[in-house]
Amino acid sequence: MSDLVDAQLVPPATVVLVSGGSRGLGLAIVTDLLGRGLKVAAFARTVTPELEKLAAEHPDRVHVGSVDVTDQQASQAFVKEVEQRLGPIDGIVNNAAVGQDSLHVHTSTDGIARIIETNLTAPLQLTRFVVRRMFAKGLKGRIVNITSICAQRGFPGLVAYSATKGGMDAATRSLARELGGRVLANAVAPGFFASEMSAVLGQTQLDQIVRRTPTGHLTEPEEVVPVVRMLLCEQTNINGQVIVVDGAASI
Amino acid sequence: MNQLTRSQIRDLMEQVLKNQGKVLPDDDAADLREIGFRSLDFSELALRVEDETGEELNFDAPGLRRIATVGDVLDFLLQLQQQ
Repeated sequence: MSDLVDAQLVPPATVVLVSGGSRGLGLAIVTDLLGRGLKVAAFARTVTPELEKLAAEHPDRVHVGSVDVTDQQASQAFVKEVEQRLGPIDGIVNNAAVGQDSLHVHTSTDGIARIIETNLTAPLQLTRFVVRRMFAKGLKGRIVNITSICAQRGFPGLVAYSATKGGMDAATRSLARELGGRVLANAVAPGFFASEMSAVLGQTQLDQIVRRTPTGHLTEPEEVVPVVRMLLCEQTNINGQVIVVDGAASI
Repeated sequence: MNQLTRSQIRDLMEQVLKNQGKVLPDDDAADLREIGFRSLDFSELALRVEDETGEELNFDAPGLRRIATVGDVLDFLLQLQQQ
């Protein structure tokens, strides 16, 4: 690429903040990025032994904390700690979320508010804060929002959850426009994870989803991780997109 | 809190089914699939109970998936009222 184009590119992320990084997909992302040599900060309501182990193994490249993503003050304090320990954040993965498994009419109004606060309001606020810090330092960066196939297809029992994920997909597109190429913003929308779904859906529903999936299996976190890594680290010019990882179940 | 008895809930369940031209068997062991009582019928019944008691009955779906018989429906709603 020409020097002019090089100057306009958003470099690969070097210090990545992962919300909800203590288990499941979040933990898999943290593990993968560390394996690729990046510095990673991860927080979750509860720091699991797995995350603590990673922190102990890579003391110079990991910072972890017990933070509820809806606690704006604590989230922002964590970001500042990360900057002190690892350097300025130039990548963020908004992964923390709460699920839902209740029909809309039987979900309490408090429950709906909690889902929206955790899955939509909190990541928007965290993104705002991190991008402000990036811009103040003249940095470029990358945002990856973990959303869901629920944002694009309807599923019973997931009304509020789907609304928040659809909201994040929409925000991703507007962020890509608004941030003018200084920050690349994309979303990754996994299909149903086997581990989550086996706890939520009945065997009949699970079998039905698998039957309708051309690849013949539900999505595994390990299949989503490379896409997240690509969006954080590779030069692709992908921006404002929602990449579905579901084996074509939704096609 | 005003709570409905098992018998009162049974009456409401009978009404839900009757509106669809279906009959509620006397036997609590009757299978819901056989009598055509579906998940949205359960929702309707729960909301009717709410109307009577004036209290919201909110619950997650996994509890519903274990319900297979008329007796299960009545037990679930009785238990829900006590929470």
